[in-house]
Amino acid sequence: MKVILDFAARFDTKLSLNPDFVIKKDGRHFLLNRILRRFVLRDYYYAGVYLGKVRAGKFFPSFILLKRMAENKANSVTVDGKASWLFICGRDVFRKGILAVNGSPNKNDYALVLNEFNECLGFGIIVCNLDTIGKGTDVAVKNVSDIGDFLRRETRWSA
Amino acid sequence: MSSKEFFKSRYAALGWQFKETRTRQAIRLNVSTAKGKDIVQRLESIGVQLEKIYFLKTGYWVRNSTMSVGATAEYLLGLYSIQEAAAQIPATLFTKLGGKIVYDACAAPGGKTVQLADLMNNTGLIVASDIRKRRLTALTNHLERCGVSNALVYELDARRAQRLKLKFDRILIDAPCSGNFAADGNWFERRTIEDVERNAKLQKEILEQATSLLIENGEIVYSTCSLEPEENELNIDWAIRNLDLQVQEIDCFGQDGLVDIFGTRLDQSLKKCKRIWPGETQGFFVCKLKRGAG
Repeated sequence: MKVILDFAARFDTKLSLNPDFVIKKDGRHFLLNRILRRFVLRDYYYAGVYLGKVRAGKFFPSFILLKRMAENKANSVTVDGKASWLFICGRDVFRKGILAVNGSPNKNDYALVLNEFNECLGFGIIVCNLDTIGKGTDVAVKNVSDIGDFLRRETRWSA
Repeated sequence: MSSKEFFKSRYAALGWQFKETRTRQAIRLNVSTAKGKDIVQRLESIGVQLEKIYFLKTGYWVRNSTMSVGATAEYLLGLYSIQEAAAQIPATLFTKLGGKIVYDACAAPGGKTVQLADLMNNTGLIVASDIRKRRLTALTNHLERCGVSNALVYELDARRAQRLKLKFDRILIDAPCSGNFAADGNWFERRTIEDVERNAKLQKEILEQATSLLIENGEIVYSTCSLEPEENELNIDWAIRNLDLQVQEIDCFGQDGLVDIFGTRLDQSLKKCKRIWPGETQGFFVCKLKRGAG
């Protein structure tokens, strides 16, 4: 569970996860509620809220976790429609596509990427100081993970 | 006689004149993640033209779209699912789903599991199982995309579900079936009556196991996308004679179930089932069963 809290901390947010309700299987972490915890069997395949997985010592968050972090005021940038679309296609965010910076604007910090409806599209790493936004075509947030991954997974399965 | 002629003659004997049909793409709004009206407006603003499905609360046909409805941000955010119109019916037929313990017996790829979670507002518990692990990946992807939080998923043959050591308030059996020609352009080339009989046997076994896991006065919704009576009315007729189940009235799209199958008279209560011949939707069959209601 520490790996999840450490990940959230990189966005300047603190998640409250009851360790009694977090279970782990094959590197994948899940959050249960009272009912699910009562009934879950050892050989489950998926349970409750999927939080993310650890592979080769690295944590890969689920999109549900990122959404919860967004609700918890994690560092984020809000981007316009065009930047949103490019981001879910796997592209980076240009400085000119950013409408607002919510929290840290500092280089090398992590930031969630939100669309105009405040919905979380994924996250990235801030690659330049974001004190001045709305100008320039240089990359501001490098894409690490975006919801277009749902489609990429489908493509991988069908291949 | 070709396979197509064979099945067409059966449909005629059941009172339906065959006509070529293809299914229309449909979506279902996940209203627990956003307001339905907002989702429709957003989709229309990006060039997705929708038509309300008159017999569903949250279903829309896709009339036209400038982009794939499976690749919009709104889809990836879990605001809606792509789900054929008739396939949206079964989950809506249960009474009072909130807080219940529900078993989705043949769950992958998960369209109905997500729909159940939406109807339950993520309360209670859904146990979803499927026999094929590969299909579970699609199911869990679907659960993550739509933010489902009340499901436990198992790789499990529904005929062995006693292993779960649980009793259920509600059970959805969207049974593995032979499918229908409206959803599969090569259906007539692929299918034989032997396939139908094999599926009917499997469905009976699933029904029998599911009934043993149902609480007194619990409900089973049974559905298939098959037009073949062996997988539908004949199986339900067998179930009410052998499994202490009664057919319940349902108020949904479709015609009354058949009670005369190729000269065999079935229990009259089978009229309460709904049979949907291909036309506005794909072919479908659905019914609600209650244990101990008699």
